[in-house]
Amino acid sequence: MKILIVEDEPSLRELMTRTLVNEQHVVETASTYAEAESRLGSYAYDCVLLDIMLPDGNGLKLLESLKAQRRTERVIILSAKDALEDKVLGLELGADDYLPKPFHLMELSARIRSVARRGRDGQREFTWGNVSLDPEKRRVEVAGVELPLLRKEFDILAYFMQRPGYLVDKAVLAEAVWGDHVDQADNFQFVYAQMKNLRRKLSDAGATIEIRAVYGFGYKLLVPAARA
Amino acid sequence: MKLITRIALRLSLILLPLLALWAGLFYFTLVDEINDETDDALEDYAEGIIVRMLAGEPLPQPNSGSNNSYTITPVDAEYVSLRPRLDYYDAEVYIPEKRETEPARVLVMLFRDDGGAYYELRVATPTFEREDLLRTILGWIVLLYMLLLVTIVGVTLWVLHRSMRPLYELLRWLDRYTPGSRMRFVPTETAVTEFRRLHVAAQQAVNRSEEVFERQNQFIGNASHELQTPLAVLGGRMDWLLNHTELTEEQMGEVMQMKQTLNRLVRLNKTLLLLTKIENDQFPDCSEVDLVAMLRDEQALYDEVFATRRLQVRMELPGRFVVRMNESLASVLVTNLLRNAYRHTPEGGSICIRIEGRSLCVENDGDRPLDTKHLFDRFHRESSAEGSTGLGLALVHAVAERYALEVAYRYESGRHRFTVRWP
Repeated sequence: MKILIVEDEPSLRELMTRTLVNEQHVVETASTYAEAESRLGSYAYDCVLLDIMLPDGNGLKLLESLKAQRRTERVIILSAKDALEDKVLGLELGADDYLPKPFHLMELSARIRSVARRGRDGQREFTWGNVSLDPEKRRVEVAGVELPLLRKEFDILAYFMQRPGYLVDKAVLAEAVWGDHVDQADNFQFVYAQMKNLRRKLSDAGATIEIRAVYGFGYKLLVPAARA
Repeated sequence: MKLITRIALRLSLILLPLLALWAGLFYFTLVDEINDETDDALEDYAEGIIVRMLAGEPLPQPNSGSNNSYTITPVDAEYVSLRPRLDYYDAEVYIPEKRETEPARVLVMLFRDDGGAYYELRVATPTFEREDLLRTILGWIVLLYMLLLVTIVGVTLWVLHRSMRPLYELLRWLDRYTPGSRMRFVPTETAVTEFRRLHVAAQQAVNRSEEVFERQNQFIGNASHELQTPLAVLGGRMDWLLNHTELTEEQMGEVMQMKQTLNRLVRLNKTLLLLTKIENDQFPDCSEVDLVAMLRDEQALYDEVFATRRLQVRMELPGRFVVRMNESLASVLVTNLLRNAYRHTPEGGSICIRIEGRSLCVENDGDRPLDTKHLFDRFHRESSAEGSTGLGLALVHAVAERYALEVAYRYESGRHRFTVRWP
């Protein structure tokens, strides 16, 4: 995918670029409103990551003009202002997603992936190895056979399927699946318990993917090399 | 002491002796005047008798209608030379008609008839009438004195109270005022210069504190916003280390620790932003929220998360409890109360979540009472529990403030109890 990053903070821009290049995307960057405008005037992109607080203008304006031109770029808004109005306004203006700062880089990859997926009709499910997962129907199939999962197990698997190869900290996982409220849990027993069942179910069903524990710190979805 | 009470007291203290002095003076002057009149009347009576006697006319009957009496005794010249010609005194006199002695005013007069013989005329008039009169006068004076005092103090107080009304209004207003609330304008219906100045001064003070409050809020908001990007960068770089480099277990552990610390920072920052937003009233939309459903969801979640603590959780909930508020804020309120209880109950302890009437009550075991003065302050922490931001109860307080809910904390027989009451 060809991606334009519009972000004024150099360090974050560089980091996002590095991450996305690493995932085989073609990445270009713009640090100001004017620069972004000129780039968008000359080239077409698959996806635009748009910081709305730019030194010389509001990113939402850029979004507005993109939509007015009926451009097909997918737009993900990045905002330090975790304000509901911005989110609502951005989505109303036609943004495809909204990512409040600070975000995890794997979160960014996952959002780009899912936004891109939405662009292609009819292909909603994620497939890695012989496992495919449909987030809307909440259905998982292993080698064409449905695998019944409990709610939390499904949520965990969905989370990993969208972030293959990334090390997921158990605290981050807990927050993503159980919600913000778990931030003061004194241990992650409840994550281990669900994870144990999920891993057993996957291996019993003969899945070629594996959620592997990385030391004691977290987990990583390992995908067979052929498909990855 | 209230100003009015003080003025009343002072006024009474001054008026009491002053008026008493006035009443005393009045009374004694009156008494003097009455005595004078009595003496004059006695003298007239005595002269009448002497004139009649010298003219050889018959003397009046000793008791012709009045209570006056007289005696005439001949005296010798030596006696006359020793005594004044006219002498008044008070004495007890026997009144034959009444057959008793009565206090009376007596006049003794010496005179000489045509034959050169000396006589002493003694006239007496009983004073009980005069005493009656004086007693009545005294009674009235005392009564009027009291009446005057009460009237003066009463009228003064009433007038003062009426004139001070703007002051009391201002005081009431100041009592209700808290910075950041929407009551920015001091009430100003008064024509009195001093009160106007006071109101202007109050308005200036209010404006100043509003400005400081605003600036403080803005500062927290801005600082939190500005922190977001660097935090994102830091987190991103750690992610990169974890995912794209070969780390030993030890290195990875260190990076993970760093990430956890960073996550705490992120959470703290988010919570501060949330607090600022609640205080800036950035959650305007309201809807009907069923707290029972919300509580049950949260309870299920926390039961799972805190399963290793083996807490006994009891819920005493009605079928529904619907309140009108912003749904996110309702969730903030419920979540923080529950989390607080789950987080701080010792292992194996019990928690009770109840809805009674229009109150939500969360009770849990605890070994000592919390510091009620700072309980709801930001960053106030009773325990050094890992991961606690010290902002949970501040959030509860902010939400309650926003909807004018009453939040109360009590410690009773080894249990903490938080109650939130909807009006």
